[in-house]
Amino acid sequence: MSKLRLNGVSKAYGATLALRRGDLEIAGGEVHVLMGSNGSGKSTLCKIIAGSVRPDAGQILIDDKPVSISGPQSARAAGIGIFYQELSLASHRSVEENICLSALPVKGGLFVDRAALKARAARYIALFAEVAGEGFHAEALVGNLRADQRQLVEIMKALASEAPILIFDEPTSALDRAQVDRFFEILRGLKAQGRGIIFISHRMDEITAIGDRVTIIRDGETIETLKLSETDPGTVIRLMVGGASDMPSARSSAPAVAATQEEAAMSVRKLTGKGFRDISFEVARGEILGLGGLHGQGQSALLRAIFGASTVTSGEVTIGGERYNAKSPRDAIRRGCAYVSGDRGRDGVISGRPIIENVTPIHYLRDRLMIARPSSLRDKAMPALEAMHTKFASLFHPINSLSGGNQQKVIIARWLIDRPDVLLLDDPTKGIDLQAKSDLFALIRELAGEGLGILLYSSEDAELLGNANRILVFNGGSVTRELTGDDRTRYNLYQAAYEAA
Amino acid sequence: MTSTTTDIRSSEGGLRSWLERYPFLPALVIVVALLALNGVFSPNSLSFRSLTGLFSTYMALIMLAIAQTYVVSAGDIDLSAGATLSLVNVAIVILMERWGGGAGAVLLALALGVLIGLACGLVNGIVVAALRLQAIVATFATSIFFTGLALYVMPVAGTPAPALFWRTYGGRLLSVPFVFYVLVALAVLLFLLSRTRIVTELLAVGDDQQAAYQTGLPVVATRIKGYLLCGLFSALAAFCLTGDTASGDPLVGGKMTLYSIAAVVLGGSALAGGWTTVVGSLLGALTIGLVNSLVFFMGTPSEWQNFVQGLAILLVLMAGVLAGRRARA
Repeated sequence: MSKLRLNGVSKAYGATLALRRGDLEIAGGEVHVLMGSNGSGKSTLCKIIAGSVRPDAGQILIDDKPVSISGPQSARAAGIGIFYQELSLASHRSVEENICLSALPVKGGLFVDRAALKARAARYIALFAEVAGEGFHAEALVGNLRADQRQLVEIMKALASEAPILIFDEPTSALDRAQVDRFFEILRGLKAQGRGIIFISHRMDEITAIGDRVTIIRDGETIETLKLSETDPGTVIRLMVGGASDMPSARSSAPAVAATQEEAAMSVRKLTGKGFRDISFEVARGEILGLGGLHGQGQSALLRAIFGASTVTSGEVTIGGERYNAKSPRDAIRRGCAYVSGDRGRDGVISGRPIIENVTPIHYLRDRLMIARPSSLRDKAMPALEAMHTKFASLFHPINSLSGGNQQKVIIARWLIDRPDVLLLDDPTKGIDLQAKSDLFALIRELAGEGLGILLYSSEDAELLGNANRILVFNGGSVTRELTGDDRTRYNLYQAAYEAA
Repeated sequence: MTSTTTDIRSSEGGLRSWLERYPFLPALVIVVALLALNGVFSPNSLSFRSLTGLFSTYMALIMLAIAQTYVVSAGDIDLSAGATLSLVNVAIVILMERWGGGAGAVLLALALGVLIGLACGLVNGIVVAALRLQAIVATFATSIFFTGLALYVMPVAGTPAPALFWRTYGGRLLSVPFVFYVLVALAVLLFLLSRTRIVTELLAVGDDQQAAYQTGLPVVATRIKGYLLCGLFSALAAFCLTGDTASGDPLVGGKMTLYSIAAVVLGGSALAGGWTTVVGSLLGALTIGLVNSLVFFMGTPSEWQNFVQGLAILLVLMAGVLAGRRARA
């Protein structure tokens, strides 16, 4: 008998299929791991079970009986508790209130039963008493807690549902070793009580430590369910990646530059800041250095910090042999640093303004231009835009009239009027079409050929494998592995990304 | 070195935790300071008699600020609170007059007034929470609608309230001014409300609506209940106003709405929701009252009074914000 079963569940957001066909079967007394790469549909699947996302099609059965889950409340009534990856906490409420929020104990039908609330919360707080750390107590406001402590509160909140089916969507991402160990002890206890547990994590060692079975999801589809005791991490990763995973990337596309020049364009030593720590590397002139790994492991944070958009706590950066310490993006731009973000709306496009204004702001800054003359600016802007094969009607059309890909080309063109020394690319192809992508990478390679040092972070592994000379794999804010030459395979990239930090 | 830094942190943490427990402390300091200033310019203003006057004049604004606080808790706002007050004000005056102004008539009219306030709150709640219209615009529209109703009930201001009603409000009971009984009853009511499930849920919804929904809280119902509480307290505000002015006026509440929002912010609540204090709102309303009387006692020429009032409220707001920021930094 299965505790929970999903048959052919799907969900689309507009034209994007978040989940194509989700099948899942959870037995009582097991920890069932969900695995899949970024955006494969794991979280959507969990939210469908928890009622916060409504499926377009498919069937959900609990204890072999079909149920209809209309919202989080009805999911709770059906016996489902969930840990949300993005947390579901009220930051101005206390720890104990948050733990009990979904079902506040009431007396007289109206008033919160403080004593009962305290007693109930205390049971779950006590579970983590030794590992919760300084400043964690029942009356503390959640907003004042550290990230790992907030994650513990969300765990306690999920546990307090006392639901027979528990979902944990990346519950350990901020926890330290001792906290994870304690959490796993608790999970084993729940398993022994016969509860069905869904567990998502990106750390392979945790998965093998706690999981019984694993279901692999790829591109929104359930691929296979395996017993973890009868398989090995290699097989799991191969299933996640799909076919042709062992082919070295170098054979599928030529490396960007045959031989990089010796001179370093930029070197980074022991750089530490918010979201990353102790990062050291060198980018040679003409080299494309890839930053790989799962989403949000410190790659973007590092690029933004180098660009001066967030603070660095220690370490140093040198550009062209000169020590460099950007305090603001303005400073970084003057030193020859360029940054292109995939989040065009936030970091790139000057919305509603003509294309020419969108191409020239960096030129203003680097040339300390006070008065702009459109005719002379046009002479500078046109070659840069043409180098990118940008399609546009005139320089004076608003940038919003262009497609996403062409907008991104305009953004990149703005850096090409005055050549930078180092180009930081933060997932630059997010949401742009294939033609624009290939134009973009052709240009990036050309720029590298001209001697720029390029740092490329991409959430699409194929882009890294096809273009980077070397790949640094990030995990939990630091570089865990460097892939060069024939080691640059999809398999190695995944394995490095998923192994323990 | 390490020990000194931890000492500093713990003392700062002490102030911070005090502020977290009693977010109205800066507002209290400001009220005390304003009282002292009032005393300097006019020692008589601190007499028991003047303070009674202060409370009976500003009790309506206090109630309205508290009404506003409950919707602000859930991250909403009510621009129709003042219009609700007007509507209840004219309705009860007309009803009391029709029914002869006896004790029974007064009580019955008050009961109906509460119902009218609740009905206005329900309309707002349905429009904002269930139909998902923007709170600012939707309640602005309902405020015009409620004002229209008030003008229909009483086209011209001036119908007097029965003497029994305003004599009770302005009078004394066992030689204690009646308004202090109102204050004590209000304190008890606020204390009880602060213990209810609905207030905790309102704050959770205001904190992060998506999180509250995912937690399984009934977000729409909770926001509607917030507007119901707002309607209730707007009606109570109308009672106090009627007691103070002893007459009906269909436009009396309009300008009080923004004062009530100012009082909420002066009291230390966050307009974004999730972090509010009803005691602070009470003090915020008193702050506005004290600023007004201070401007008067300072002998400001009448044509400059508005200017100075606005400036003074701005200064108080800045002082409160700076104090809060320093404590939180």
